[in-house]
Amino acid sequence: MRSIGFILFFAPLISWGQRDTVQRISEVVASEITLIIPRKINSSLSKKDIEELSANDVGELIQKIAGANLKSYGSLGGLKTVSMRGLGANHSTIIKDGFSISNSQTGQVNLGQIEVDNVVGIISSIGKRFKNSLPVSAQVSGSNFLIKTFENTFTSDTLQIRSNVKYGSFNQQLAYLGVKYSPKRFLISAFGRMRKSAGSYPYILKNGNTFVNSNRRNNAYQDYSFGATLGYKMKRGFGRLMYRNSSINQELPGAVILYNATQDEILLTSKQSLLADYQSFWKIADFRFYADVNSSKVNYKDPTFLNSSGGIDAIYDNRSVTGGATFSIKANKQLVINGGLEEVVSDLFSNDSTFAQPIRFHNFGLLGVSYLLKNKLKIEVQISSQYVQEKNNNGLSAEDRFRINPFVSLETISNKKMRWKHQLWYRNSFRMPSFNELYYNNIGNNLLEPEDAHQINYGLSVVPVQKKIDVYIRSNVYFNHVANKIVAIPTKNLFVWSMQNVGLVNIYGFEAILQTKLKLAKNWKLTSNANYSYQRTLDVTDANSPTYLHQIAYIPLHTVNFDFSVYYKTTGLRMSNYFVSKRYSLNENVVQNEIGGFLISDLSMFHTFKIAKKNQLKIQFSVKNVFNQQYAYIRSFVMPGRNYLLSLSYAFN
Amino acid sequence: MRLISLFSITAIMLILSSCKKDKPEQDLVSATLSNGMLVLCEGLFQQNNSSVSWVNFTNSAVANSLFENRVGRQLGDTGNDMKRYGNKIYIVVNASSTIEVLDAITFKTIQQIDMVNGGVAKQPRSIVFNGSFAYVTCYDGFVDVIDTSALTVTQRIPVGANPEGMAIANNKLYVANSGGLNFPNVDSTLSVIDLSSNIELSKIVIGQNPSSVIADAQGEIYVINRGDYGAIPSSISRIDSQNDVVLSTLAINATHIVPMNSNFLIANYDYNSSVSNVLLFDPLSETVINSNFIATTGISTLYGIQYDSFRNQIYLMDAMSFTNTGYVKSYTSTGSLVENYHVGLNPNKIIFYD
Repeated sequence: MRSIGFILFFAPLISWGQRDTVQRISEVVASEITLIIPRKINSSLSKKDIEELSANDVGELIQKIAGANLKSYGSLGGLKTVSMRGLGANHSTIIKDGFSISNSQTGQVNLGQIEVDNVVGIISSIGKRFKNSLPVSAQVSGSNFLIKTFENTFTSDTLQIRSNVKYGSFNQQLAYLGVKYSPKRFLISAFGRMRKSAGSYPYILKNGNTFVNSNRRNNAYQDYSFGATLGYKMKRGFGRLMYRNSSINQELPGAVILYNATQDEILLTSKQSLLADYQSFWKIADFRFYADVNSSKVNYKDPTFLNSSGGIDAIYDNRSVTGGATFSIKANKQLVINGGLEEVVSDLFSNDSTFAQPIRFHNFGLLGVSYLLKNKLKIEVQISSQYVQEKNNNGLSAEDRFRINPFVSLETISNKKMRWKHQLWYRNSFRMPSFNELYYNNIGNNLLEPEDAHQINYGLSVVPVQKKIDVYIRSNVYFNHVANKIVAIPTKNLFVWSMQNVGLVNIYGFEAILQTKLKLAKNWKLTSNANYSYQRTLDVTDANSPTYLHQIAYIPLHTVNFDFSVYYKTTGLRMSNYFVSKRYSLNENVVQNEIGGFLISDLSMFHTFKIAKKNQLKIQFSVKNVFNQQYAYIRSFVMPGRNYLLSLSYAFN
Repeated sequence: MRLISLFSITAIMLILSSCKKDKPEQDLVSATLSNGMLVLCEGLFQQNNSSVSWVNFTNSAVANSLFENRVGRQLGDTGNDMKRYGNKIYIVVNASSTIEVLDAITFKTIQQIDMVNGGVAKQPRSIVFNGSFAYVTCYDGFVDVIDTSALTVTQRIPVGANPEGMAIANNKLYVANSGGLNFPNVDSTLSVIDLSSNIELSKIVIGQNPSSVIADAQGEIYVINRGDYGAIPSSISRIDSQNDVVLSTLAINATHIVPMNSNFLIANYDYNSSVSNVLLFDPLSETVINSNFIATTGISTLYGIQYDSFRNQIYLMDAMSFTNTGYVKSYTSTGSLVENYHVGLNPNKIIFYD
């Protein structure tokens, strides 16, 4: 076994370097067919998965991960947020190429605005050990989703090209071109991308004994993005400098309001980011230094809002600067010491004179040890601290906050003799109230406390030994407790709600993942991916409340993913199924609040042409929502029925 | 493969269980409505879940989907007001921007009036009646006049910002201009409209953020000013409808004001402390008869109050923190609890049937 530090450092790189999630494959003979079993399963999506799923955005991909619960307010461009294991969306951090994507105004990232064409991998990280390649802020959050893109990884190929054009229902159009040039130690890459959609999809909405047949209105969307990366690889490390720019122009269809089809809200978003990092790997220590500057300007327009000024034209400019460093020191073969520091400064300006002008200084500190006991048990302990200072230049400020949070993990080391692997961990984390929750006009409450989360997880990986089949299963049982949950309640009248710390939530969960891969015959292959999540997410705030021990709104009790693919040489077919059980639109579990469960099936057919050496052309045709289900994640936000997408991709190297 | 099969079976079972149909609500309502009450349940914005409950006083049974069962479709989003005029019932649905007109006896639909102007939803709020016309405040700054026979909008009268409640006295319509959508820069005027010409005569300056309006037997107008929910508390303005001047401002915190015979029931729900209070007020002497008329113990979120003169009972509507199905509690005329009815989400208006 090589040094633990080596593994710790390279673990993310190794996993990212895979073309598939299947990292180690063993073969056993079962009857006449050859069964290939993946030996290590991540809650992840590979480049192949991502291509085959033909998703519009990262949100639609993440819902395929066990434990993830998507809230989608529409198809292309629609707001999408994800919560993990019943915790709110603000407890999850989205990491793209090693940098946090954050929005201190809303506290959550709109996954509908993260494109997928250049994404080559997504991993869900929860309760995982320290990773030097991740920012400190991500290591202390409740859970992470790690996204890796094509442009930002070093490669041994001198030139790589990826391009994609798509056309689909509702006049969806997409074009993407990414070029990566790697002469010797350099990495020079650039990409450009656009997508647009008329978004006027038909829907059928049940209205009592009748059905409303209509088209989604005010749902046009278009965005443009481009960026470039400059990297340099050294003997013991590498450095990267990245620039990203995106512009989004979208209509907001809002909820479908019965009998009222007047919607005309618009949202214009422009984002810019400059990111840099340097990673260094040594025999006894690894380091990473990172920094980024982000600007996100949002212009919300509602020209028919019935106020005296004849509408709303609000601009919110959210900026942030981040700097940090992580380290991992290998004291000996058993002991690794790791840690890091990070400082994030963010502010918000608005043309709304009644809105706050907050600035936040958020400091993260982390110190941990990892100890390997007799090569059988890995013990990891972390202590993190966070100190938050805020100043509001236009009103009352939130008070300074200081928190210390622990993380403890015990994990057995599996080997050939030991086919059971156990992991037990506890994490205490919190999420800060967003600027909107603290200061948004009369809704905000500057006295809000952070929302605390306690997570206890027991995970078991089993390789049952059977005569005819060898299967790998990973399962987790967990208990989460959320205290000081931030919820909106009316404090002035029914139309004026404000944020309060009033909620207590207990979450009892279970999830299981199963992947198989079968070689049916020469040139034929069958793969399947399945996962199941059970999330009993209960309101335990007040024993006298009518919602006591009721399932929290919009958290399904059951979620199932079941995908299977058939391949013949370079031709394939993938059937993707996603099932969500019924949910409630409010915390009171009564019939009136029920939102029906749904099963959505997508079908993709694809063929790859090898047109010349190192040149590939791939054509893919996808039918989404094959059975034309009428469904909604969020009450009154209807989703599209059956729709089609044709994709043509070209890859060099 | 057993495990794969197990997954498939589990998934199918889950799907089947999720597709299980709900039991239809038992038909607790006779073909013609009598001896009970209709309760308008406002629902929540963007949830399309406004509803009308029927409470049968004979057996205390409650049917919570009367509108959907009788009309065959849903009421819509944010039902704000409901009144009976002659043999018709009018329901003002704010976010759906409609007015539903129904037969008062059978509760069958007569017409749905679309309240959209030039592609912009008018967002109707409240309704009152005078002669053969209904007057509807619309959040776009108008009072719409509706012919109660033709059931069409015949005129739009411009008033102030985001008008709310109305009352009629001396052949004049008094309209509270809340300006609520300009919060915190709210309006503080009361429009006076001549009902012969349907023209605004004047705007009377009263307190901030006016909402409910009521007239007493001597033609005085009382208006609740909601204040700014903070430093400026709610109050009540008293206006002389002869000369259209403010007579006084009563330092009474109020969210609702309704008649009880010749007196007023004034209710207040403090959004910050969640404390409710109901007082009995004599408008002729302008004095508080009983400052704690009904013990509101057990009321979570007081959201409406009405008096049934036929049964001589008072009804308080509890919105249960606005996100839970509500209750209507009945009290004797002396304030003793009689009955508790579990209704729909956010009950706000009642029509009583003898």
